[in-house]
Amino acid sequence: MPHSLETRVLLEGAEDPRLATLQGYKDIVGGYATLERAYRDMEQDEVLKSLEDSGLRGRGGAGFSMGKKASFLPRGDMPKYLCCNADESEPGAFKDRELMQRNPHQLVEGIAIAALAAGAGHAFIFIRGEYDSQADVLDAAVAEAYEAGYLGKDILGTHRDLELVVHRGAGAYICGEETALLDALEGKRGNPRLKPPFPAVQGLYGGPTLINNVETLSNVPRIVANGADWFRQWGTEQSPGTKVVSISGGVRRPGNYEISLGLPTRELIYELAGGPLPGRTVKAIYPGGSSSPVLTAAEAMDLPYSFEAMAGAGSMLGSGSVIVADNTVSIPHMALRTARFYHHESCGKCAPCREGTNWTVKMLERVVRGEATPMDLDIISSVQENIMGHCLCVLGDSMAMPVAAMVRKFRGEFEQVMAEAAEGIDPHVVVDAPVETLGAAT
Amino acid sequence: MSEKREVTLTIDGREVIATEGQMLHDAAREGDVEIPVFCYEPKLGAPVGACRMCLVEIEGIPKLQTSCSTPVRDGMVVHTRTEQVKKAQNAVVEFLLVNHPLDCPVCDKGGECPLQDITTGWGPGKSRVIDEKRHFEKPIELSPLVAIDRERCILCYRCVRFSQEISEDSQLQLLERGDRTYVGTFDDRPYISPFQGNITDICPVGALTNYTYRFRARPWDIEQAGSVCTLCPSQCNVSFTVRDEKVKRVIARDNHDVDDGWLCDKGRYGFEMFDAPERVTEPRLKGGTKVSYEAAIEKAAAGLGARDGRVAAIVGDASNEEGFLVQEILRGALHSTDIDSRPAGGPGIGTILELSDPARQAKVADIDEADAILVLGTDPMGSSPILDLRIRKAIRRNGARLVVATERPTALDGGAEAIARYAPGQATHFIGEMTAAVRGAENVATPAAETLRDAGKVVVVWGERIGAAATDALVRLGDALGVTEADGAGLLEIPEATNARGLREAGVIPDAGPGLAALAGGRATEEIRQALIDGDLDGVILVGVDPLRDFGDTAAWTKALDAAEFVVAFSTFTTATAAKADVLFPLETHAEKDGTVTHPDGRLQRVRPAAGRPGDIRPGWQTLANLSLAIGHDTGVTSQPTAFTALTSAIPFYASITDADIGGRGVRWQETESASSLPSSTASAGSPASPADAPSSAADAGADSQDTQRERASGESVPVAGANTTLALGTYKDIWSGPITELNPPLKFLQPSQHLELSPEDADRLSIATGDKVRVTQGAGSIEATALIKERTPEGVCFLAEGIPGANANSLLNGHQVRVGVEKLSEVPA
Repeated sequence: MPHSLETRVLLEGAEDPRLATLQGYKDIVGGYATLERAYRDMEQDEVLKSLEDSGLRGRGGAGFSMGKKASFLPRGDMPKYLCCNADESEPGAFKDRELMQRNPHQLVEGIAIAALAAGAGHAFIFIRGEYDSQADVLDAAVAEAYEAGYLGKDILGTHRDLELVVHRGAGAYICGEETALLDALEGKRGNPRLKPPFPAVQGLYGGPTLINNVETLSNVPRIVANGADWFRQWGTEQSPGTKVVSISGGVRRPGNYEISLGLPTRELIYELAGGPLPGRTVKAIYPGGSSSPVLTAAEAMDLPYSFEAMAGAGSMLGSGSVIVADNTVSIPHMALRTARFYHHESCGKCAPCREGTNWTVKMLERVVRGEATPMDLDIISSVQENIMGHCLCVLGDSMAMPVAAMVRKFRGEFEQVMAEAAEGIDPHVVVDAPVETLGAAT
Repeated sequence: MSEKREVTLTIDGREVIATEGQMLHDAAREGDVEIPVFCYEPKLGAPVGACRMCLVEIEGIPKLQTSCSTPVRDGMVVHTRTEQVKKAQNAVVEFLLVNHPLDCPVCDKGGECPLQDITTGWGPGKSRVIDEKRHFEKPIELSPLVAIDRERCILCYRCVRFSQEISEDSQLQLLERGDRTYVGTFDDRPYISPFQGNITDICPVGALTNYTYRFRARPWDIEQAGSVCTLCPSQCNVSFTVRDEKVKRVIARDNHDVDDGWLCDKGRYGFEMFDAPERVTEPRLKGGTKVSYEAAIEKAAAGLGARDGRVAAIVGDASNEEGFLVQEILRGALHSTDIDSRPAGGPGIGTILELSDPARQAKVADIDEADAILVLGTDPMGSSPILDLRIRKAIRRNGARLVVATERPTALDGGAEAIARYAPGQATHFIGEMTAAVRGAENVATPAAETLRDAGKVVVVWGERIGAAATDALVRLGDALGVTEADGAGLLEIPEATNARGLREAGVIPDAGPGLAALAGGRATEEIRQALIDGDLDGVILVGVDPLRDFGDTAAWTKALDAAEFVVAFSTFTTATAAKADVLFPLETHAEKDGTVTHPDGRLQRVRPAAGRPGDIRPGWQTLANLSLAIGHDTGVTSQPTAFTALTSAIPFYASITDADIGGRGVRWQETESASSLPSSTASAGSPASPADAPSSAADAGADSQDTQRERASGESVPVAGANTTLALGTYKDIWSGPITELNPPLKFLQPSQHLELSPEDADRLSIATGDKVRVTQGAGSIEATALIKERTPEGVCFLAEGIPGANANSLLNGHQVRVGVEKLSEVPA
């Protein structure tokens, strides 16, 4: 049973495995009724308006208004595309996996309706290669939807067409960046493109393209069915709706929880996720995936979990993925682990990211080996500053922001680890305690 | 071209006028504001924004923007020197040096390195990096001509973009990812491209260096001397790197109107031959005896003067002034009219004048803006490589539609919307059909004509090889395509010789003197040959030509030169032809010569002396003027400037052009006030074309479809028995045949061997596989070749390269369209 603090909208009925089938989706949550209505009775502008009014913000990381993004696509007869970004690769994020696994038809229906808003005739789901079984689930769902006439030519006899293709990525984090995703989809090396032109103007194969995250698109059917006011009953003024939050790290019940945005962070971590393991305390959290600047427990716990509150605290809600670091975690090691990830995943196209991630890793390695001095911490901070705002895409900033925050907020610990490592003391405090794991929706 | 709006913006407080849509970086440069950058190079097309060096602050935009990718807007206020920008510039330089070895003292680029310059100009001035840098094996061969040092590479994308977007071979790729990224090729195969040297010009660090220049000189040892490459009709602008009077390197000297800033590897690496042992370095007599200039001139003047009225001249590689002086000797001193500059004769003066009409003339830059391009009877990759790149650019960036109509498959076929193949020797017929098709007729040329009909601005890039009769037909085709009506449309010739246009305009043709002034017709090249054989002519002057190698029908030329009583030759290298000379004078190379040449589009360009002349070589104008004087005709030429003045005074449409007008970029005479002095074509029309180039008797047969090919193949009467075992022979000049690969050691690996190109159908019928050794026979002549099955070769036709030593296709030619027998000698080893 869902926890009482959860608000199950996207995950409604997720306990029932039949939801993944077309018939189950129809029976359990009344699926595809909105698609039928939208395709038969609604014009592009009507769908677009309902999305704009809802205030739905992108769930992939940037939090940009979905309706507004769709409205940027030019009108006209040129080929237009919709891409669903299912390349969920951010460390800490695993909500799209669950949404696709348990309710693939919700996504298919969302894509079909969003395509109407964007005027797109061809849609793609770009799913990360590692999500193999989820891609199988999507393949099956898409086949069912074609069979039922919800996709393909002349959908439901309305003279409206939509082709939907599931494309499996080859496993590069950078392909979650929207323009790199487009290049990868076109069969090229997955490198980010210069913006402008933005994908809404010149995207896939040079055509106007709407790119949205899985969770964003999964919200579309219900918003179009029930209207903006219904959607705005949850969340805050600036962060309307519910959000599936992935919680991982040092908590008793890591997993996905769907909440009304604005829930106090303390309740999210202590009530839903069960708080830290016995005998431990929370030291810091990444509030929105590994690219968000870390917040100390003191900073984070009393904040409402919303886009605006996290931004106000100098961090971000991002994809809504909370990673909890308890008091056994060495922050310098966590910084190094984070930097290594981004160094490994940097595409190498622009200099600040390519060289900045590599240099930061080398410096942090010296820190944890005890071969650094406090002056190196200043250089690390300065290098993060030099990366931020100077890169071609946000990957460089994704490392610079959390690393800079860690050095700033935990400088004492960095100096201590450096000094202890120089003396041969292992900075890890590993507490071996049994972990009670309960997935949210299982 | 529609005029683009001007916009005004402010950069660092200066007002800058720019063109709408222009990138901020270019606008700043034109407004004298320098913004440092590595990856951006407008020649390479759209910006990539990879290096991040050109970040600037634009008022109203919170984040810094890359100036290379930001189009200018009216009223934009830009700052390039604020604290915020300086911090970003320092940061990017520091990042680029994190993995750069800083081995400037041993790096060839040191002293002329953008990374060095930008580091000292915009960098933080000190390094904070103490960590290990990345390591690669270095240097390694990217190709036999270019070395790559991957540690120095700053991954700016320039070379990769060149390979993908300019030469379009896509061989260079970025492999791996992040700071492990490196430039390489698939499976480490050598980078093979006739344009590869360009990547060493555009590399902003010492990562890509020429093997021909590694450790040869430092920037403070050298001088740069601008000149023009005369190795092909492209006449690319080059800069010679000279150390101690010797050329050590050739680099591009951007001229948008000529070469777009690129060079082919022939022009770039073909300089070691300037000092080859085969160089003729002083006057010689038959047998090789070296003599003084004075003695040589005396002997030549005596020999020629004694044959007054019975001497001919054939000119190839020569400047306008040299050509002018040769015709002065012929017409003024020796009272002869038998002079030509075309290997197989050419159209009459009437047609030449029609083609010279400025309204019919396309200039090189017109290709960029053309709506459609017709490549006719030539493969620019072999005949004028830089135009191959230019045509690719027009298709890629401007969406130009390309039609290729040739005998032999071309390198441009892949980008063509329509391809038409006509049988060797059938150009005249095909062009006639095409003209009719453009006007609406249905025939073999219709598919190609449909792309060109009503296409807007059409540029026709055509080869002199189509022959005299076809050139007459071409004028009609051009008119049908409306080239005279549209600005930016026209015909652009790719002649056989580099300075063909200049020589014709200087009067080195039988039926016109300087300035294309019609004269009573003398003999054209092939008639001169026949007259020598028949004893109607006794002497011949050969300037910069090697008929025994480069002209068709080697046997007849041998006979002609043996029959000639007195031969005076001017040659750069010792050749079979030069060995026949009674008096042999050296010629200067384009690194040594002072003189003008005329580009096929009418641009006069100046070849300037850059290097010292080896041995006792004197300027061509001097030798020719002295020779003329010795025979008794004073040309008044006493220096290069007087030679130039003599030339421009003799050619009315050059009359107003001064050396200063030519400057470093040249000037098209059509764009000067003298242009109106071109004789009108109607006044002199009707001069006969050389009979050797008249269309052959089978010209009425179809030439395009394979069906027609087959009909022709079996229907024509042929000297070799068994028609279905013979193939119509087409010949071509390989880009790498000749002294370029024989006398330049670094290019030796490119020396071509003879290949018989044939269609898969014929190969199947003759049981020939690629790699088989075959004997190709025509009449009494035969040569051996390696079979090469080539898709897109029409059935019934085969091709051989000209000028291949020991297997020269010219030895199979006889002035008519020939058919050859093919016999398999041995199979390719399994």
